[in-house]
Amino acid sequence: MTKATSLSDTTALRDEVVPRQVRQFGSARDGLREWRLQRLTAIALIPLSLYFAASILSIATLDRKTAADWLSSPVPALLVILVVLAGIMHALIGVRSVVLDYVHTRARLLAAELLFRAVAVILAGGAVLAVLKLFLGR
Amino acid sequence: MERPLSPFMFPTWYRFQITSALSILHRLTGIALAVGSILLVWWLISVAAGGEVFATTHALLASPFGIVLLCGWSIAFFYHLCNGVRHLAWDAGYGFEIRSAARSGYAVLAGTVLLTAMTWLYVFLA
Repeated sequence: MTKATSLSDTTALRDEVVPRQVRQFGSARDGLREWRLQRLTAIALIPLSLYFAASILSIATLDRKTAADWLSSPVPALLVILVVLAGIMHALIGVRSVVLDYVHTRARLLAAELLFRAVAVILAGGAVLAVLKLFLGR
Repeated sequence: MERPLSPFMFPTWYRFQITSALSILHRLTGIALAVGSILLVWWLISVAAGGEVFATTHALLASPFGIVLLCGWSIAFFYHLCNGVRHLAWDAGYGFEIRSAARSGYAVLAGTVLLTAMTWLYVFLA
């Protein structure tokens, strides 16, 4: 009674062969968290970015006072802060994953990592400060 | 370790497919939007700063160059948004068959054109 090896048997066999320790660059170890954060920010950005785009359409063409007044009310201020933060988080993960695909040296990866994180923090901080200044009254 | 690099694959070994072309576009528009977010944050800061800073920023955005920039940005935004929804559907396990992936790809392109056109019609008519 010879039974053909099922798929699960092969997998079990393969588990013995495949090394447990990842070689070369290996995994980044927090891939799943990043993957989920990318999707979560994507879902959040659907309504947030549409709200922002729609608001800015009627405001950006106008003068500064209209824009400043818009940002001094609580709901727009909160939503703009959220759209900027979610957008920057989403962009940072995306840009890093592109760099990870095309940059293959440790030094350059580290340099890109530091640069992107710095830019992200500066942009996020600048945007939040700007909105807070308008919201709290100039 | 010698690994094949994907950009070199495209013109030589890959036949044009809507799916791979749109996948590359998703990345390109994503990068464009990331760069554009600098301008967006700058605009917020200029509103807060007011005075000369806002005037300069506004003049730049209202100039022909600025309009081209905003136009490109709106295309990138709507494309990335539509295709992002397509990606989320894939993540949830829907639309993986080649035919439906191609069909949703064309739907994304149509959605992009439609939303961009509607946006700019609104800008120029309102």
